[in-house]
Amino acid sequence: MLHYTIRRLLISIPTLLFISLVIFLLLDLAPGDPMASIPLTVPPEVKEKMREALGLGEPVHIRFLNWMYQFFVVEPQVLIDHIFGTGFAEGKQRIISFQSRSPVMAVVAERMPQTLWVVGLSYIFATLIAVPIGIVSAYRQYSWFDQLGTFISMIGFSIPTFFSGVLLIVVFSVILGWFPSIYDTTLEVTDWSSFLQQVKQMAMPVFVLTLYNAAQVSRFMRASMLDNLNQDYVRTARAKGMSERVVVLMHVLRNSMIPVVTVIALGVPNIFGGAIITEQVFQVNGLGQMLITAIYASDAPMVQTLTFIFAVLIVLFNLIADILYGILDPRIRYD
Amino acid sequence: MLDDTKSNKVLVEVKDLKMHFPIHAGIFKKRVGEVKAVDGISFDIYEGETLGLVGESGCGKSTAGRAILRLYDITEGSVKIDGVEIGDTPQPNLRKMRPTMQMVFQDPQASLNPRMSVAAIIGEPLNEHSDMSKAEKREKVLSLMDQVGLNRDFANRYPHEFSGGQRQRIGIARALALNPKFIVCDEPIAALDVSIQAQVVNLLEDLQEEFGLTYLFISHDLSMVRHIADRVAVMYLGRVVELASRETLFSDPKHPYTQALLSAVPEPDPWLEEKVDRILLEGDVPSPSNPPKGCNFCTRCPQVMEICKTEEPPTVEIAPGHIAACHLYS
Amino acid sequence: MNIKTALKGTVWGAVAGLALAPAAFAERGADGHVNIIYWQAPSTMNPYLSGGTKELEVGSLVLEPLARYDETGAMVPFLAESVPTVENGGVSADLTTVTWKLKEGLKWSDGSDLTSEDVKFTWEYCTSEGGGCAQSEKYNDVVSVETPDDLTVIVTFGVPKPFPYGPFVGAQAPIIQKAQFANCTGEAMASCTEQNFAPIGTGPFVVDEFKTNDVVSMSANPNYRDPMKPAFATATVKGGGDAAAAGRSVLETGEFDYAWNLQLAPDVLADMEAKGKGHLEVSFGTLVERIMVNFTDPNPALGDERATAAHPHPFLSDINVRKALSMAIDRELLVEIGYGAAGTVTCNVLPAPAIYASTANDGCMTQDIEGAKALLDEAGWVPGADGIREKDGVKLSLLYQTSTNAVRQDFQAIIKQWWNEIGVEVELRNIDSSVFFGGDAGSPDTFQKFYADLEMYANNFDGTDPEAYMANWECKQAPRPETQWQGNNMPRYCSEEYDALVAEMAKTGELNKRAELAKAMNDMLMQDYAIIPLVYRGRVSAASNTLGGVVMNSWDSELWNAADWYREK
Repeated sequence: MLHYTIRRLLISIPTLLFISLVIFLLLDLAPGDPMASIPLTVPPEVKEKMREALGLGEPVHIRFLNWMYQFFVVEPQVLIDHIFGTGFAEGKQRIISFQSRSPVMAVVAERMPQTLWVVGLSYIFATLIAVPIGIVSAYRQYSWFDQLGTFISMIGFSIPTFFSGVLLIVVFSVILGWFPSIYDTTLEVTDWSSFLQQVKQMAMPVFVLTLYNAAQVSRFMRASMLDNLNQDYVRTARAKGMSERVVVLMHVLRNSMIPVVTVIALGVPNIFGGAIITEQVFQVNGLGQMLITAIYASDAPMVQTLTFIFAVLIVLFNLIADILYGILDPRIRYD
Repeated sequence: MLDDTKSNKVLVEVKDLKMHFPIHAGIFKKRVGEVKAVDGISFDIYEGETLGLVGESGCGKSTAGRAILRLYDITEGSVKIDGVEIGDTPQPNLRKMRPTMQMVFQDPQASLNPRMSVAAIIGEPLNEHSDMSKAEKREKVLSLMDQVGLNRDFANRYPHEFSGGQRQRIGIARALALNPKFIVCDEPIAALDVSIQAQVVNLLEDLQEEFGLTYLFISHDLSMVRHIADRVAVMYLGRVVELASRETLFSDPKHPYTQALLSAVPEPDPWLEEKVDRILLEGDVPSPSNPPKGCNFCTRCPQVMEICKTEEPPTVEIAPGHIAACHLYS
Repeated sequence: MNIKTALKGTVWGAVAGLALAPAAFAERGADGHVNIIYWQAPSTMNPYLSGGTKELEVGSLVLEPLARYDETGAMVPFLAESVPTVENGGVSADLTTVTWKLKEGLKWSDGSDLTSEDVKFTWEYCTSEGGGCAQSEKYNDVVSVETPDDLTVIVTFGVPKPFPYGPFVGAQAPIIQKAQFANCTGEAMASCTEQNFAPIGTGPFVVDEFKTNDVVSMSANPNYRDPMKPAFATATVKGGGDAAAAGRSVLETGEFDYAWNLQLAPDVLADMEAKGKGHLEVSFGTLVERIMVNFTDPNPALGDERATAAHPHPFLSDINVRKALSMAIDRELLVEIGYGAAGTVTCNVLPAPAIYASTANDGCMTQDIEGAKALLDEAGWVPGADGIREKDGVKLSLLYQTSTNAVRQDFQAIIKQWWNEIGVEVELRNIDSSVFFGGDAGSPDTFQKFYADLEMYANNFDGTDPEAYMANWECKQAPRPETQWQGNNMPRYCSEEYDALVAEMAKTGELNKRAELAKAMNDMLMQDYAIIPLVYRGRVSAASNTLGGVVMNSWDSELWNAADWYREK
């Protein structure tokens, strides 16, 4: 397994380099101009100067190499400096956002908490809710519980978050006034009342995302359970005289979890990707919202860096999913 | 294997066993009908004997085997094992009786939990039904492995690391773990290579001898049934159409279906093969959800009569120990 | 509030100002917290790094210029003692030097004194090489800034400046602190993140925490020049989401006090306002939604000479066609479906300030389809077999492009119907705004390339002086290959007479004279139908009913008088 992991990690290096090049070229070829959002009253000569100040005057390969150097050398140095108080990155150019002219990674760090809180928590909730629902739904297939679960999953799947989100806002913020419609990213949880405040403002976005994620995971769990419930080894277990609890939880569930765990692992990078629409609806202003504003503003360094980080996470979690598969399923051995 | 070695004590008594599966359809999954997989079968199995249960695919023989062990909640009828009625025992109470009755499944790959080691698979029932210490259990598992001819060193391996024959040995060892009296062997050799089949069948025979086991041997392979069974029951579309001792059934089949079935057994001698007078059945097996009126076999029977199409044939004992359900004999 | 009250607001504004004064007479910070929402979040607090409105406006809470424009477009001294003019001797007779006097005792929010050195530094900062200052145009022609003493700033221009209020005036050109930004000139401009996110200013608020594209937390400036102000101890400017969510948060849930720029359908806004938590504030600047007419031939067969002056347009060079197109439009209806209270009909490309607004072209206010048909008939454009008018084998078939935007696509569709009615075939096209306005010389889809017959967008000008704006339609401003397709004269309009008016205005200092010239230029463009104006667009923002002192302003930052805001008790 160790050899396999190392080999996979080594293979992912050229893969990621290639991905970064493709992203860079795509962004470079994409139409759109970071100056487009500036009012027409700013004359073109000034815009040209601003473009030059952004480094857009350099040829493509120089900009790409610059980005590579900044991403792989300068930014890690900044991180090391930050942790150990050293001075490796002193005076070196970091990756700078076109919009704010601030280091991209600093903005990422700033956005991380709300994204992890809202999107991450909803993912955890979704998993915690979806797995039992999937188990019961499959075990009691076609029961009223299963029908209800199917119905709710269908809702979670088919109703887009921009609709369910706004619906919740209208009901719970406008009509009932229970929850704030706008997320306050400056809120710091210091005491009971600020904690309550935080719970209130997270309630709606977390609910919307939980519903959406749980719908997916529960269907997956149910399908996987159904697959296994009809397997002969389950009958074997019953024939052995094992209790239903043991049959379902030890035999069926453990086997059913193999694909579900990998699906859950593969979904983790999405947490870091943020939830573009939900973040937008509730003004959570996490990584998703940052990505979409950067795309609108043609903020190439930010889009490039974010998408590349996602690519790294996706490659990494694919590897983790594969390793988990190997650990969970004795039939799979990588060496 | 002589008849006199068998006792006359009835171990398993099956009466009017019915196993119907509901069919759900439509938006609200309403029950619209049922598959009559097993539709009223009765027979006894004597202690120490092997009853062969034969029939075409889909005739309900596997379902019958599982229903007898109450792996299903049966629709109707009674099953007595070792004098205890289990036909209507709720599943939780049934668990305590599981050690007496065990099953060896058709597909040794699928019937073993892929995520458990061999030792865990064989030893699991011991956790549930015995209070042996860990070491005792381990010893029991290893000795079971010895008995079925598996190398002890493989105890910690997983099922996928074994060959088909070995896996079936694991399945048998597992079934033996609780010292059962009655084992349903559901096509235990169907998924195996021919070369391995004999080994497994011989193992089953050896174990029967050693532990005094009683088998219900379900198979569609008539030659293998002829080899292992003491008595043979023939099933067609959820019903037992004929039951007789092995010798009687193979030499003097009464029911037209049994006759047709036996005529289909390949003859290894090419000279004889040409002379075999085969009875070819026309048409397909009717759907068990919608069996024909009267005799189930009337749609394909070469000797069909008017009465067959309207009345169900009663089961009659046409000779001692030879039962058939056919209007020809009633 | 309609356009008239907005523009005639001089008196009203003064009265309102007096009326509000007593209410605001409280201690600094007595009114707690004010919540402002900008659905497009500011990405930096330094307006010199971004030309975007959101950055300018939020920045104006902290940074202040020497003078601002009030809601009527009149100049009000902020850091300066008074606005220098030729009359008061502040502007030299030859229009080349301006002398500003700073108010006495002004302090930066860190407690240090604001001096003329800071003003001079601001000029140096924005004009430093390699910085890419977004507002460098404001400092055009400035040759020197002298500081004879701590309170005096003398700006010298290389050419006579009849309107010398570019530098240090308005939200675009506020004064920054020399001490803070001394090491941030030139190429270092961008890397001074700390300074750019939390500039030290003289305005009513100080940045406590800046999260880019997300939220700005501010508190009252302890050294603000009026010890009673601001009434709010803290302020938050939240960003993100969309206009609907911003409007909802003020008008429906009341979570926020002020929401900026609610570009929403008129009925949606009306529904929100009906909830009774807040009200809409509308004001009109100079923004006009217009259709530009291409005087040159955009035929792709022309290759490099496509859409250049070398080839006049096959049918749009006929004034009758241009006029007929304009006559067929029902501008009232456009306003109603697209902008509601936030728009009004206009027949001018220069609609304001009042002294510049011409009334000579008001005939366009009523739609005249029959007249348009008659005009085309008369000019020899007669309907062909397919109902499309043609003359000498040239068909009236045109391509009409704009940026992707719901209202603009509605406009396109409805205008297409009217034009079809008069026998003109119309093909519609919309282009993503980041491409359309992107100005990439390599892209064929920019509004400067204008590879279409007509294009629609909105434009305005900063401040109140239209000189530079009207100069957009000089011959030399036409985008063409030689200028890398840069320039503001999209129609490629070219008239010696017009150029002469532009030149004349550049050397005329007297206001009424300038107004006449500007009107003449506007009328010329209108009567030549080089530009077909559609809607005079205002800006709609929403204020909570508990927020007092809001004076909506289209000539400067909307938050220009945030120091005067208070909580309605």
